[in-house]
Amino acid sequence: MRKKFIIVLTSVSLLLMSGCAKKDPKPSSDMGNEIVTDTVSIDENNFDSSTGNGFNSSSDGMKSLYFGFGAYTLTPEMQSTVAFNKNVLTQKLQNGQVKLEGNCDEFGTDEYNYALGLKRSKAVKDSLIAQGMNGSQILLVTYGESNPQCKEPTDSCYARNRRVDLHLVK
Amino acid sequence: MRYMLLILLSIQLFAVDATLKITKDVEQRAKISLVDSSVGLSPSLSEKFFSILVSDLKISGHFVPDTEHYRESSQSNFIAPNLKSKEYVLKYNISQQSGLTIDIKLFRASDATLLTHKDYSVSSSAKYPFLAHKMVTYLNDTLKYPDISWINRYIVISRYTTAKRSEIVLADYTMSFQKTVIRGGLNLFPKWADKDQRSFYYTSFAGAIPTLYRLNIYNGSKTRITSSQGMLVCSDVNYDTNKILVTMAPNGQPDIYEMSASGGGASRVTSFAGIDVNGKYTTSGSLAFVSNRMGYPNIFTKTISGSAVTQLVFRGKNNNAVDAYDNRIVYSSRESHNDYGQNTFNLYLTHTNDSSTRPLTSRGVNQFPRFSIDGSTILYIKQYQNRSSVGYINLISNQNLLFPLGGKVQSIDW
Repeated sequence: MRKKFIIVLTSVSLLLMSGCAKKDPKPSSDMGNEIVTDTVSIDENNFDSSTGNGFNSSSDGMKSLYFGFGAYTLTPEMQSTVAFNKNVLTQKLQNGQVKLEGNCDEFGTDEYNYALGLKRSKAVKDSLIAQGMNGSQILLVTYGESNPQCKEPTDSCYARNRRVDLHLVK
Repeated sequence: MRYMLLILLSIQLFAVDATLKITKDVEQRAKISLVDSSVGLSPSLSEKFFSILVSDLKISGHFVPDTEHYRESSQSNFIAPNLKSKEYVLKYNISQQSGLTIDIKLFRASDATLLTHKDYSVSSSAKYPFLAHKMVTYLNDTLKYPDISWINRYIVISRYTTAKRSEIVLADYTMSFQKTVIRGGLNLFPKWADKDQRSFYYTSFAGAIPTLYRLNIYNGSKTRITSSQGMLVCSDVNYDTNKILVTMAPNGQPDIYEMSASGGGASRVTSFAGIDVNGKYTTSGSLAFVSNRMGYPNIFTKTISGSAVTQLVFRGKNNNAVDAYDNRIVYSSRESHNDYGQNTFNLYLTHTNDSSTRPLTSRGVNQFPRFSIDGSTILYIKQYQNRSSVGYINLISNQNLLFPLGGKVQSIDW
């Protein structure tokens, strides 16, 4: 009985110790001049709870397209919006150019966020070309997180900022 | 019973090891007190100067500064009895005559032996932080500690002012000195072009498509490097400063290119239908970069001229920013997906030649990691409890410092 007890105790202890050894090393302390601040104040009165619906930051009669987190592919619903924009451009563009501006929420950092905005505008460009538009009439630019439509820390606000706006080049 | 005791003793030995190491690290640093004998200096400037001296001494990893701001009426050789327990006493006198001048004397505390005496001056009072940094660098060198001259370098920051508007600012590492060098418009991604910090690259959105310029900060001359539809970023400059890695998208597809520092001879380094960005030179002829080729942003390496791509990081599902110093890699990893409020981003240190990984931060949003010019220290931006700070981690001494930072940072380099 005593032998059994010692074997079980040793096994449990070794398991605990091996657990310790595999654990990630503790982060070095990043304590510094941390500052405690007031809590945030969120006002959601001005926002629709649905993703992007009801908002538009494009001009010249066109509609903005809104994307999911980290996404840059078009859903069938978004393809319909592209078709709507294509009809507007057919009437208004003539020999001019349309500028597609890709935008992102505040997450993601540095270059990746700008590239994400670019991929969104590129997806819209490819869809417009597939629907018959001349690619040379389409300009792409990404504004990353630099052009938010709202700044509240809410999911609906982040969704409003993950978008492509369309403007005629004047 | 004796087995149980043996196990408990083993666990206790592991626990003690860490404590011993920390104690040893602290004991290896020199204890130093600062005595201010300045006359006529504003109390505000006097306090700010002292605070920067303490920060410089701490982040060096070579000193344990006394945080008491001692004052005396004249710079005598007398060491007060309560300071004799320190190794060194630094006495300094700042005078405001056409800028600022500082006179420093370093004493061995135990017997009041004068070890060194030096004067420094700056032309503008606004540059007082650099006076403090120069002074601490001199002390460090005099005592023959490893180089800390990175504290004298400028930081260049782009930060948003309003939608589609930004400014590019020069600062000292504590952010106490700040000067806007480009205001108005949307100018992003500043990157130092040379080791002496005479020029930096940046992307201007003033035209129809993004354009990369190099600006000389001393004479204002601006050189156009190249333009690209979609996006254009100078991500890194090679050791000889004659080549740059850029992310650009001539056909709407963001990939990494290498070109000469003057903009000629662009060659495509990566080719992928998704996103390849953030190219950073590592060891000779290779780069680390961020790509979503596995379906999420992660860190990869490849040679400049080869086609094979190697996954470098095997933890996390959103590793979206990287910096490199030889074979050392620091990256930022998103570790939460909260719908409301801020998410957690932490920094990790790894290497191109082994898989060891060291966490560097543990809370808040930690982004924009950048190695110092000597690779000893990492700069980063921390968002925590709705406040923004610039942080530093000395990789050798594990010293950490945070300084308050105003505005939303777009990119940073030093």
